Amino acid sequence: MRIPKLIPWAAAIVAVAFAATALLPAARTRGFDLDRFSRLPVLEGGRVKPLDSVARNSLLLIRSQQAFTWQGRTVGADEWLLDVLFRPEIADVQPVFFINDPEVLGLIGLRQTSDRYFPFRDLEASLDRIQQQAAAAREIDSKQRTRFQGAIVNLFDRIYLYYRLQNTLQMKTGPGQDDLAQLAAFRPLPPAARARPDGWRGVGEALRAGPMDPGVEQLARIGDAWVKQDPILFNVGVASFETLIQAESTGAASHARYEVLFNRLAPFYAGMVIYLLALLVLFASFLWKRDVLQPAAFGLLAAGAFVHTLGLASRIALQGRPPVTNLYSSAVFVGWVTVVAGIFLERMYRRGIGTAVAAAVGFSSLIVAHHLRGDGDTMEMMRAVLDSNFWLATHVVTITIGYSGTFLAGALAIGYALRRQLVPRPDPATTKALVSMTYGVVCFALFFSFVGTVLGGIWADQSWGRFWGWDPKENGALLIVLWNALLLHARWGGYVREKGLMAMAIFGNVITSLSWFGVNMLGVGLHSYGFMEGAVWSLSGFVASQLGIMALSLLPQQFGKPHPASAELAGK
Amino acid sequence: MLRASRRVFDALTSLKLTIVCLVLLMVLVVACTLAQVRLGAFGAVNAYIRSFFVYWNVPGTESAIPVFPGGGLVGLALTANLIAAQLKRLDLSFRKLGLWIVHLGLIVLFVGEFVTGFFQVETQLAIEEGKTVDYVESTRERELAVIDTTDADHDEVYAIPEALLVPDKYIEVPGTPLFIKVGAFYPNSEMARRGPSDPPAQATMGIGTGINVIEAASVSGDDQSDQKAAFVEPFAGPKSYGVWLVSDALGAPQSFIHEGRTYSLSLRRRREYLPFAMTLKRFQHDVYPGTDIPKNFSSLVHLSRPSTGEARDVLIYMNQPLRYAGKAFYQASFGKNDTLSILQVVENPGWLLPYASCLLVAGGLLLHFALGLRRSAARQKAAALEA
Repeated sequence: MRIPKLIPWAAAIVAVAFAATALLPAARTRGFDLDRFSRLPVLEGGRVKPLDSVARNSLLLIRSQQAFTWQGRTVGADEWLLDVLFRPEIADVQPVFFINDPEVLGLIGLRQTSDRYFPFRDLEASLDRIQQQAAAAREIDSKQRTRFQGAIVNLFDRIYLYYRLQNTLQMKTGPGQDDLAQLAAFRPLPPAARARPDGWRGVGEALRAGPMDPGVEQLARIGDAWVKQDPILFNVGVASFETLIQAESTGAASHARYEVLFNRLAPFYAGMVIYLLALLVLFASFLWKRDVLQPAAFGLLAAGAFVHTLGLASRIALQGRPPVTNLYSSAVFVGWVTVVAGIFLERMYRRGIGTAVAAAVGFSSLIVAHHLRGDGDTMEMMRAVLDSNFWLATHVVTITIGYSGTFLAGALAIGYALRRQLVPRPDPATTKALVSMTYGVVCFALFFSFVGTVLGGIWADQSWGRFWGWDPKENGALLIVLWNALLLHARWGGYVREKGLMAMAIFGNVITSLSWFGVNMLGVGLHSYGFMEGAVWSLSGFVASQLGIMALSLLPQQFGKPHPASAELAGK
Repeated sequence: MLRASRRVFDALTSLKLTIVCLVLLMVLVVACTLAQVRLGAFGAVNAYIRSFFVYWNVPGTESAIPVFPGGGLVGLALTANLIAAQLKRLDLSFRKLGLWIVHLGLIVLFVGEFVTGFFQVETQLAIEEGKTVDYVESTRERELAVIDTTDADHDEVYAIPEALLVPDKYIEVPGTPLFIKVGAFYPNSEMARRGPSDPPAQATMGIGTGINVIEAASVSGDDQSDQKAAFVEPFAGPKSYGVWLVSDALGAPQSFIHEGRTYSLSLRRRREYLPFAMTLKRFQHDVYPGTDIPKNFSSLVHLSRPSTGEARDVLIYMNQPLRYAGKAFYQASFGKNDTLSILQVVENPGWLLPYASCLLVAGGLLLHFALGLRRSAARQKAAALEA
């Protein structure tokens, strides 16, 4: 094999190896085997998951981060959870509540400082006031709430989650098994070997049931060891609790282990970083050592795609669901489809264009996904009407592929527009390749968005009794179909040529983003389960940027540069 | 003359018309989506999609003028354009086969939407556990039910549709000596107990004498419904039985006696009786353990049809409707602490058309793009050979 052939492989292997370092088990914290503790399976939010996921998602909700610095050292989510569960006096003084709203801070009697994280202790005195205000704000429809009302409801929900976590394994304030059963944030005790698989019990329920459950005893030992900060007793306790769980339910334990690996790898975050690297290397290749850097960029793209695929496959395996189940996973999937399609385009045309757009779209979609994950667990259970793997696998997947196709065409067209303005003498063969790629991708997008839309209609016919209800989400999908059809007919009729085709393809980005996210912001219709707040500004910014690039694509070539003739005149 | 019709045909077959129609359709879809915030889905669809023109109410007047083509018109134009263009460019080559199939599928889809618009009837069937129901109810339309309840073992029902309840009209109740004079009809109303300062009641009999009725604007939200009301005066020959208030907001029917027969009056949801009956044996509302996220809703009903001797149990649950006797029954809602199940009942003779259309268009597009890809690959190969 010649050296150049090795370049993409070398780049890919380095990137994957770098991502894989995250899988190495962490060193013991002060001798405590937190790793084993974090693998313990529990039932939360309707599904079995490791404590690690509970810890990470809760801390993410409360602090918007998965770890924090306290007393000069980093506290991970698992350690924080242990303190919340067993050492409230420590957890209560750790600054984990992220509060940014000045009015909310004013209500609590705190001043806005550069550090926006506050411990529970600071909030304790104002709990009544927070609860009162939150209860009043809750009366108002979530879309009509003011900034303060939204923030106070949000803070109360986080405090309540914290309170429930503290009252999951033991009552923070004195005994009371009924409250324990009601408040518990998760259920740590597995069902007996031949019982119903979802029959997990909380500590409160186990205590109420009568004779001391061996699991409760073990948990008490673990808690005791943690309170005394005795690593040896702690490690023994966790190990024997793990054995107990494995005896009752082997599936849950291995499932939880897998999910901990998935959490640690953070494949979508790693993928995002690798795509960004690929993009940077590709940009560098335009300036320097093109024959080395361009294959290296492709190798990085492939490595990103590998990690991304691994993440997607793990999600499917962990959740037992097709890839797209909520807005978050739709963003992950849109990026994945685009990257795979981009790799194909690169193999077909070999001009670096496929790599560029695939890395750019892959990176941006994973960023979007990263910002959509704020709701905690991204593998939540599916509401009744959505509980159908058949329709999730057909309608939802095809329609999301349709989104990807339209975005890919838009990204190619953006590449075309930028190239026309930035490259002094663009070579016509590459231009032609860009145009034919865009055209082909639009055809691809039209097919998938049409089929996806009609399949959605058929699902609606099966579940709501009407094929087409002109629901906002359905209309959004229809708009994508109409726009792609319009684009192709305008091209076939010769009403638009190269430039027009590209400008229309960019507008496809606007339509797709609006029907993907925009219609959810209207807050009406049957699809409003994907409702999101606060993203209006990002979406408007994206739309404005696309319109700007569209305008750019319609300007004459090299518009910014002075005309050679006028430059000559100026020189004279 | 010939030239004029030729010009019309040219315009009808032109790709420009296709593009104009697609643009208009996109505008309508966007407008309809945004209008749902204000009008609700039903109102917005009727205003923009299931209409031939979009009207604009001139402010301050009652008149409305058409300002934009509606979905019906654009759909018709697009269908005509599609058919005419296919006939004009009658190119039966294999190359164009994919497009033929796609456009045929689209025509089927449009026809399906027209059939739905004109013929689909949506009703509801609400049953409590242990009860048996043999009718479906309209959620929007009401009827004035005059029921002869004299016989203990059966009722004689005379239903007058809402559309006939026009003020100052006399309506005969067939099969009885009665006729009804309509005093007033309110498409939506607000009711309150009459206070001392209220104007005198319009009703002279029944519960309505103590209620003050104010006309209200119709509501359009998807989860709201109008509270309709009417004042009716039953007559037997020249004898009046007084003016009664009827409304679906009032609970029990009110009755009067004429020549030994008891008649009750009520304004209720328009009913359509079925040739079969359904008994709700059990309604189930499952949640995921440890959460209140709904996992499934299901109704176990017993279906019985005396005329054919059919009697069987059916389980209706999410994504699994019962299709029976031209109607489809869907699990739609529930109430009364999980003892009441509400089924959405849809009758649409064209329900299969979209399925056919989906297959045709998907197959056609696949064929067309596959052929295109093959041609482009061949071209690339030829270009590579030349180079």
